[in-house]
Amino acid sequence: MALVMAKRAAASSSAMKSVSSAAAIWMRSYAKVAVGTDIVSAAPNVSLQKARTWDEGVSSKFSTTPLNNIFKDKKVVIFGLPGAYTGVCSNKHVPGYKENIDKFKAKGIDSVVCVAVNDPYTMNAWAEKLEANNAIEFYGDFDGSFHKSLDLVVDLSGALLGTRSHRWSAYVVDGKVKALNVEEAPSDVKVSGADTILGQI
Amino acid sequence: MAPIAVGDVIPDGTLAFLDNDNKPQSVSIHSLSKGKKVIIFGVPGAFTPTCSLKHVPGFIERAEELKGKGVDEIICISVNDPFVMKSWANTFPENKHVTFLADGSAKYTHDLGLELDLTDKGLGIRSKRFALLVEDLKVKVANIESGGEFTVSSAEEIIKAL
Repeated sequence: MALVMAKRAAASSSAMKSVSSAAAIWMRSYAKVAVGTDIVSAAPNVSLQKARTWDEGVSSKFSTTPLNNIFKDKKVVIFGLPGAYTGVCSNKHVPGYKENIDKFKAKGIDSVVCVAVNDPYTMNAWAEKLEANNAIEFYGDFDGSFHKSLDLVVDLSGALLGTRSHRWSAYVVDGKVKALNVEEAPSDVKVSGADTILGQI
Repeated sequence: MAPIAVGDVIPDGTLAFLDNDNKPQSVSIHSLSKGKKVIIFGVPGAFTPTCSLKHVPGFIERAEELKGKGVDEIICISVNDPFVMKSWANTFPENKHVTFLADGSAKYTHDLGLELDLTDKGLGIRSKRFALLVEDLKVKVANIESGGEFTVSSAEEIIKAL
């Protein structure tokens, strides 16, 4: 029954909308990360790639950033999204965080981090296009290892994106998750937006 | 998979793009190439320098010349998703004839035998840099770099073969 409904949903309207219907119908397994989790321990041996140009990659010898460097002793708001250069991510999700950066800083947040399963060069070009890389730190989870460790991956092959991240946000203090919001449907920004997490800090 | 070579018939495969309404669509390589003279060139990655500053511009600049020599389609493929490909294509506003297609899962690149492991550069499995001249699905010219360098895979080189 779910399969038939999913197929019908897939035939209609936009690809992202059809994927979100499919995702809502199928039960999503719970993320391995929850309030109270230590995000660094939940994803051991995982590092992220800071958004950068290729030349910066070369001069930094393609260095990666261990999660410890991002989270230890810091108050971090982190949000993940399905893909650079995709509609909701570009038009709604990132701008919300960019516009509210002063409010985050006023609440003592050290960094606002955006992460997606994209390579760091694509993330960099996208961040520049959105004029958001002064306010927000962009990182690429190019092989999905960060999101796989936290069980926050979703199959968006229907939208020709492959395995990507759910849309989510978290407030993390010294590595400990204080608040976590994961969208039911990747194309929504209902719980993972800046305004929601501002209220949770 | 052995790399594609002169005399081979190119495999069929599905590549992706965003249409004018920004909806993801798929297209079969054979449907674009059958009965036609086609150039397919591959790049390691959208938004990386050699691809953006040298390889693609070369084909854009010489597209009219290539069309004048009977080339029906000029196709650029990369292991990127169609959203990224379209956004990258939009950074070349002067482009009239090059079609950008996404091989997001790297399946077509794999079937061509042209994968390149760029995991240590933060890119994962990508494509070697290459340019193929294909006539009615048969490979006439296969200019394949060993990695991402830019020597034989340029538009200049392939024009010599036309």
